[in-house]
Amino acid sequence: MIVAEQKPLEDIIRMVRPYKKVLLLGCGTCTTVCNAGGETEVAFLHDALRMAEARAGDGRREYSEATLKRQCDPEFLEHLTERVEGVDAVVSLACGTGVQALAERFADLPVFPGVNTSFIGMAVEWGVWDERCAACGDCRLEDTGGICPITRCTKGILNGPCAGPKKGHCEVSPDMECAWILIYRRLERLGQLERMRRYYPPRNFRPISRPRRIVGKAGLEARGSHGDVTA
Amino acid sequence: MNTVAVRARRTPLSEHTIMPPCQVACPLHMDIREYVDLAAQGRLMEAMQVIRSGNPFPSICAYICAHPCEEACRRGQVDKPVAIRALKRFALEFGGDRMIEVEAETTRSERVAVVGSGPAGLACAYYLRKLGYPVTVFEAHSEVGGMLRVGIPRYRLPREVLDVEITRLTKMGVEIRTGTRVVSLDLVFDLGYRAVFLTVGAHQSLRMGIEGEDGAGVVDGATLLRELNLGLTPALGERVAVVGGGNVAMDAARSAVRLGVPQVSVLYRRTRAEMPADPREVEQALEEGIEFQYLVAPVRVRTREGRPEVTCVRMELGEPDQSGRRRPVPIAGSEFTERYDTLVTAIGQAPQVPDDFHVRIGRGSTIQVDPVTLSTNRAGVFAGGDAVTGPSTVVEALAAGRTAAGRIDDYLNHRYPLAPSDSEEEWMGDLRPETVATIRTTGRLEPPVLSREERTAGFAPVELAYDCQTATNEARRCLRCGLGAAIVAPDRCASCLTCVRVCPYHVPYADAEGAIHIPFDQCQACGICVGECPAGVIALRKAGELGQVDEELDHVLGSATRVTSKPMIVGFCCQYGVYGTGTLAGLWRGLKAGVWIVPVRCVTKVETGHLLRAFEMGAEGVFVAGCGEQCARENTGHWMRQRVAKVKRVLAQLGLQPERLEAFMWGENTHDPTEVLDEFAARVGGFYLDSVLLQEVKR
Repeated sequence: MIVAEQKPLEDIIRMVRPYKKVLLLGCGTCTTVCNAGGETEVAFLHDALRMAEARAGDGRREYSEATLKRQCDPEFLEHLTERVEGVDAVVSLACGTGVQALAERFADLPVFPGVNTSFIGMAVEWGVWDERCAACGDCRLEDTGGICPITRCTKGILNGPCAGPKKGHCEVSPDMECAWILIYRRLERLGQLERMRRYYPPRNFRPISRPRRIVGKAGLEARGSHGDVTA
Repeated sequence: MNTVAVRARRTPLSEHTIMPPCQVACPLHMDIREYVDLAAQGRLMEAMQVIRSGNPFPSICAYICAHPCEEACRRGQVDKPVAIRALKRFALEFGGDRMIEVEAETTRSERVAVVGSGPAGLACAYYLRKLGYPVTVFEAHSEVGGMLRVGIPRYRLPREVLDVEITRLTKMGVEIRTGTRVVSLDLVFDLGYRAVFLTVGAHQSLRMGIEGEDGAGVVDGATLLRELNLGLTPALGERVAVVGGGNVAMDAARSAVRLGVPQVSVLYRRTRAEMPADPREVEQALEEGIEFQYLVAPVRVRTREGRPEVTCVRMELGEPDQSGRRRPVPIAGSEFTERYDTLVTAIGQAPQVPDDFHVRIGRGSTIQVDPVTLSTNRAGVFAGGDAVTGPSTVVEALAAGRTAAGRIDDYLNHRYPLAPSDSEEEWMGDLRPETVATIRTTGRLEPPVLSREERTAGFAPVELAYDCQTATNEARRCLRCGLGAAIVAPDRCASCLTCVRVCPYHVPYADAEGAIHIPFDQCQACGICVGECPAGVIALRKAGELGQVDEELDHVLGSATRVTSKPMIVGFCCQYGVYGTGTLAGLWRGLKAGVWIVPVRCVTKVETGHLLRAFEMGAEGVFVAGCGEQCARENTGHWMRQRVAKVKRVLAQLGLQPERLEAFMWGENTHDPTEVLDEFAARVGGFYLDSVLLQEVKR
């Protein structure tokens, strides 16, 4: 899941300053789950912004709230067409994809990010999320016992551990466990320690040129429901 | 489907509560959960009103109800049931029940006669009066109340309590004719009554069926109690034995002690575990020095020198009988003989219905009625109470009276009787052992009782009322069954697992499809998940709970913003604990700051938005005061602190001192509310002064 965190309030205040009518738009999927941009956070941001204005005593902005199931799919964005009428700007509490999808769909509307999209990760407990995947496009988890060194090793090295771990923890971030020691332990349990003896060549970044696109469907010509060529 | 939710922070949940087990078990289906909750907040007048709305004579029940609700109470699965009856008494006595007057208007011409002024008859009269019928109650004895008067001893039900309820009834316009024995129902109909409710009770003691039962010095329990309660002082002698193990036996034995009998024994043919009497009665009887002989049954009585000589046989317990209790079996050759001054038999009672009533009599001399309409074989004649059920409880009798009033109304309106209202409710199952393990045990707090000496010296009421603090703490033990959280908009639930993770009772769970469920019969209604749900789709199953804090806050801010002379401090105060019941408002009168209290039912109901709104509306300081370690729920203080910390971060970002917001939890950071709050007010006052000075300088 994508994990994000809400931007500092002063950043958001600065973004909306020139606008009169502002829509605060939540996302009902990833940012809801990571407590950054669901309905409750939208409401909280709304209260905080109103309070900021009341305290600053400057001209009252008109805020409204809405939350979509997902902001990263164009079909869901269609439900917003009426809601954004007369709105001067939108603060999206979705991940960067959602913000861009909005900007793409509503070409004349200023759209601002209300959260910093942080990483792909998981909750380790309530209110704590850890990064687990770098979306590198070249997954090696089959060799590393299901533990990603790209993400979880501070240095991202492919042939670890380095010489630095102290008592199983990383020398750079002493709070973090050394990914390569975790990998070793896990391979040991799986009886696959021979994988540790292998040399992993540097990653080939060539096939991961950005932006990436995945085409899942077969490249057929568009046809109507009866198989006729429509155009 | 429209996926846009416009500022729907909480989808309102219409009244969708589930009837709690106590209410299901109560024959009157009183809203127990509600009045216990009100009592826990110290809102006694409201609690009293809730009680009154569900019971015609609540003050009587407050003393002597057999409380089937407590048997059903699920707190009993954790430690012990909530002391519901004692709390009812507390709420009535301190909620001003004595001042209540009930009014009724006569809107009907059909007169109804009630034969018997016991609880069933009086309840029927009460509800018929409320329906507008002229009602006459006929009572054979010289005093009103039936078993309440002649059966139950004064030390259990003070006569003033009974008199107040009866006075109320006569003020409603119920005509009561004492000393009037009805001998024929034809005569009653001839007098112009259109319907009759028969509640003659079960006053006839059962016979033991042994030799010498009618000899001198042998008396039955019902007769003894009747004589005593109608003002006679029976001479019982020095040694009294009471045969039986029910409440009448206890009443007779304990009355004997109060009459000054030095040696009172109870002979019971089974053991203490099988005794039908209220265990608390048995306990108190033991305290009063009554001797209990178990597994003993009299087989023969001989009169010697005018005193009964009782031969008993020892018993042992055999196979269970129809009642599920183990049948006592005599042990051959174990007979022994004792001499007493009086032998009281209290092995059960049955109704005695005059033959001239011409109503069909069934098993155990009881009147046969239709279970739904309570009608007998005679047109216009209805029956209820002990006369139909055999000896039962007061609350059963009241319920029968209420039902009868409804059915008589149907009959007189030529209306098809409405189906019984207690349709099959969704029954709440037991708490799971895992849930029980997470609920904090808090021992049941009993009301104080008179000392043994004070009790046995006379017929003073044994049980005293709670003091305020004890009652509040006892009421807070209620688990609020059936008010639990529910996911009101499953389509918007993101299955984020927040509720699963924050619940202190491990109630919510995700199924294999990823859908979240909150089993209603396990939820403790603490409200933590409601505030933490990032999608805002969880609500408690009680209208009024929703938006309660918003309303109170609006109300407070509405008044507070008009007062500009003092810096405004808003305090969200838990209503259940030390900060509740107006304690603070009193303490704060002398302060320089204007302190405005928003009453909340547990601090978990205060959400981050509420705190921000108070600041938005101009509060210089905001505090949340919770009952902390006194809380009946788990982790409430912890979650309050989480929210306070979050708002403090926002305050800092806006350039306000985070110290303007504080959470006070009783026992965690304070044992003296006044001290910490004074300190807080001084601090906020300082900030206020600074900001005022700053504005002056800017000018």
